Amino acid sequence: MDTIVALFATFPIVFFFSLLFQGIDRKIHARMQKRIGPPIIQPFYDFIKLFNKERMVPVTAASGIFTVAPIIAATVSILGAAIPLVNLITGTSIVGDLILVLYLLAMSSVMVMIGGSSSGNPYGAIGFSRKMTMMIAYEIPMLISIASLSFNPCFSLAYYDVVATQIRMKSLLAFTRLSMAVAATTFLLCMPAAADAVPFDISEAKTEIIHGSLIEYCGPYLALIKLAKDASNFALVFLAATLFFYVPALFEGYVSLGLGGTLCLCLITALIIMLLTITVPRTIFARLKIGQAFKFYWLVPLALSMLCIALSIVGL
Amino acid sequence: MTNGSDDAKEIKEDYTRFRVPFGPLHPALKEPISFRVVVRKEEILDVDIRLGHVYRGIEALAENRNLVQAIYLVERICGICSHSHTTCYTQALEEIGGIQLSERALYLRTLIFELERIHSHLLILGLIGYDIGFDTLFMFCWHVRENVLDLFEEITGNRVHHAMNTIGGVRWDLPHHLIEKVNVSLKKIEKSTKYIYDVFQDKTVEKRLCDIGVLSYNEAQELCVVGPTARGSGVNMDVRRDYPYAAYKELKDRFSVVLRDGADAYTRTEVRIFEIFESINIIRTILDELPNGSIFMEESVLKLMRKIPEGETVSIVEAPRGELLYFVKTDGKGGLRRLKVRTPTLANILSLKPMLIGGEIADIPVTVASIDPCISCANRITIVDNDQSEVRVIGLEDLRRRGRKQWTP
Repeated sequence: MDTIVALFATFPIVFFFSLLFQGIDRKIHARMQKRIGPPIIQPFYDFIKLFNKERMVPVTAASGIFTVAPIIAATVSILGAAIPLVNLITGTSIVGDLILVLYLLAMSSVMVMIGGSSSGNPYGAIGFSRKMTMMIAYEIPMLISIASLSFNPCFSLAYYDVVATQIRMKSLLAFTRLSMAVAATTFLLCMPAAADAVPFDISEAKTEIIHGSLIEYCGPYLALIKLAKDASNFALVFLAATLFFYVPALFEGYVSLGLGGTLCLCLITALIIMLLTITVPRTIFARLKIGQAFKFYWLVPLALSMLCIALSIVGL
Repeated sequence: MTNGSDDAKEIKEDYTRFRVPFGPLHPALKEPISFRVVVRKEEILDVDIRLGHVYRGIEALAENRNLVQAIYLVERICGICSHSHTTCYTQALEEIGGIQLSERALYLRTLIFELERIHSHLLILGLIGYDIGFDTLFMFCWHVRENVLDLFEEITGNRVHHAMNTIGGVRWDLPHHLIEKVNVSLKKIEKSTKYIYDVFQDKTVEKRLCDIGVLSYNEAQELCVVGPTARGSGVNMDVRRDYPYAAYKELKDRFSVVLRDGADAYTRTEVRIFEIFESINIIRTILDELPNGSIFMEESVLKLMRKIPEGETVSIVEAPRGELLYFVKTDGKGGLRRLKVRTPTLANILSLKPMLIGGEIADIPVTVASIDPCISCANRITIVDNDQSEVRVIGLEDLRRRGRKQWTP
């Protein structure tokens, strides 16, 4: 019961940090392009402004699905981000919650796809098919890289167990074993696709299919979808930062850091990971085509995840 | 125009095909042009190109104005190659009137012309970057382009519509201290363009541009494409060399025509990048050899205008996008009887069909951008009435009638 209360209490925190991360991402992206860029709190302005706009549902849309999909998408992705945060704060977790988190994040993407394709717009349909293809490409390596955690002794699929093991070993998980390093690489390689960032933003390519699924959304629905995306990006970078690179574990007096210090360190790590896996690629690459992206994911990250399983079985 | 409802019926029976409207409002297109693309999954099966969403009646307007007023009117046909339009128009008038320009005026005309080519090519390079999702390249190209726009402002006082040309000469001289400034800016632009060329050789960019929108040599000749689109397909044509005008008569041996035969979007991009280098060379030559003399005629422009006799001529120039053609017929009283403009985009736009068919949806924006379209001729409005599910087309006559009704008290 307490956990559930804590979960809902974390919602505003997740809301704040996911929009803040998005703001920082946009600012740094702009600076790398020699632009001044929007203020860091621009996503908050955007959210408030969009929420005060008129609600419009196209005549061709299946209005029920069209209106419910953004709400579900936002809720599940915030929940997906809240679970690791609460677990880290309370220091408890249940077995298998990592699978739950990944499921919630995938669910949020699926909801956006369904909402877009229910709009009756052909671009929404193309966006659906492209996102579907992308999900097949990146979800499998991503799931395998998380699942491989449980192949090792003393790790499990419970989120806090992995964190606790890192504290006990006084080391970052990615540097403990070869297989874990491979798993971390796979997870990080899947990040830009999961975050819909260039070069893998094929499903909502602005100049090709006019934002695909988002094309008919406006006002509060669009605000919710954007929030859903930001929250799931935050959840992903936070997961990567705590599962594979739990920096507080390196400090001798772990307890002396306190809750605030621990969280701060985790958030900073998450920010760095976001910069490296989302902001930098989206500044220095051009968008790939769907076939090229699919080929990349099945050639590199999938092969890496297979290697990871093989290494785990051998015991490296 | 094809009947819309019949098309819809035919396509409804085949559920694997989609008809996707691409434009007239689309983030990848800067101007309204519409493609109706029939696709199966990602593959393009058929393309229907529809022009005519921005009819402005410039040719008809020009016939109601005198020759000098029309200079400023034709300048507004395009915001990117405004100087090409006025050059083409004024040199037609000068030919009819038998007016000889001073060498210095011709050289200055050519200088602005080549600066304009640089800024137009940088613009489209940026847009190609934007269309393949490479926003950084887009920002960088436009950042470099600012240098040229600043030069325009210093030389002519305007960034976009320079109002440089007039009958019998140019309106602004190039003082000595500006020559230095132009040289400094050229150095910057040359360095940045080299960098842009490096970026275009990046692997993700090449993946998006190579073997996309292929237009073979034969197709290019059959469709009479012009400019960098033709030169990218190996068609050796350049008005500057073949029919030299302005100062190109003296300069034609001083530059080379960039010719490639890759025939895809990447080659057309490459042609543009190397044309920027050629333009920089031409401008340097012009600055070195700028002759002395007056830049306009002693008589006033209005007097010159009244002296132009009745006559007709065709004038062509090599605009940044290709061959630009004007047919001018004067009435001998300082007015125009007929003005016909053939913009390079009109010559190039048909080549989009063979380029697009067989490609993917993802290739549409970059293929369209690779011919550097600049849409400016049209004749109708389409009205879509959803309640009665019908599509009406209102023709030019109808529009005129409505316009008159609106303005008659």
